[in-house]
Amino acid sequence: MEDKNDMMLKQFFEQAAKQQIEDNGFTERVMINLPEVNSPVMVDSKVRRLSQLWTLFCVVVALVAFWVFSGWDIIEGLFTGGKHMLINALEVFLITAPTTEITINPWVVVLLLGFVLVFLPYQTYRKLSATL
Amino acid sequence: MASISDIALVTQVAVFHNKQAFDQLVRKYQSPVRRFFLNQTLGDEQLSDDLAQETFIKAYVNISKFRGMSSFSTWLMRIAYNVFYDEKRKARSEEIETSAEDSPIANKTVGSGSSPLTSGIKMDIHAAMALLKADERTCITLQLIDGYSIDEISKITGIAENTVKSHLKRGKDKLTNYLRENGYGG
Repeated sequence: MEDKNDMMLKQFFEQAAKQQIEDNGFTERVMINLPEVNSPVMVDSKVRRLSQLWTLFCVVVALVAFWVFSGWDIIEGLFTGGKHMLINALEVFLITAPTTEITINPWVVVLLLGFVLVFLPYQTYRKLSATL
Repeated sequence: MASISDIALVTQVAVFHNKQAFDQLVRKYQSPVRRFFLNQTLGDEQLSDDLAQETFIKAYVNISKFRGMSSFSTWLMRIAYNVFYDEKRKARSEEIETSAEDSPIANKTVGSGSSPLTSGIKMDIHAAMALLKADERTCITLQLIDGYSIDEISKITGIAENTVKSHLKRGKDKLTNYLRENGYGG
């Protein structure tokens, strides 16, 4: 009985289910009435442009400050001071270096090399592929 | 899951606001959406087209919210269902305010106007639909005309699956009686 009723309903609605309504300009009317929506890409590009302008402003300020405060002299002084410090440190090390031999366990070296050459690159690769 | 071509079109609309892509989506789905409204409004073509237009505009504005977890048509029909019920609520409150004319939704003379569904058996369908309560009509049209499963009808309407089954059962019983009384089914 249930099946017979279902069949009857199916037959009754069959034609309606197949009915395709002609567009007759409906799509055009919808397209004309679509509101202008701010594209996320557009918003994104606005933010990017502002960020670029801010970066440019910071670079200009940094260059002006560099010129006003004779930045090159400061850098040169730093390099010269650094060079002297490095030479002094080397001299001190060479004079005071220990003369006794230090024993190194080869397994520790192998483990360290393994850590640096295998484990660290593997972990870096894993994390990068998880984030990308 | 949504079909790949729909996802590609939706992506074009959501990311680049490509109106050509949305035009293709409207062309593809205008018929089922308008047919859904025609069945809900018992053949009021003008109102159906207005509601269908509102549905597509809402879909366009909210397209970035489509996550592709269900098919695009299910998502669109959910919007259509909400648009129809918003309109129905609005019509009901206006009706209460004026207390004069009948609600324009689902209370019109069956088969009035120049609906594409107004000939022969289509008029009978609208007459039969007029016997059903709104929720029953929605569930029946979504299943018997648009071919959605109970699970999809539940997603579209937000009604629990068991309640959908009850609406379908009651609706089918009423329709069967109507068809028998009118000489269908021998």
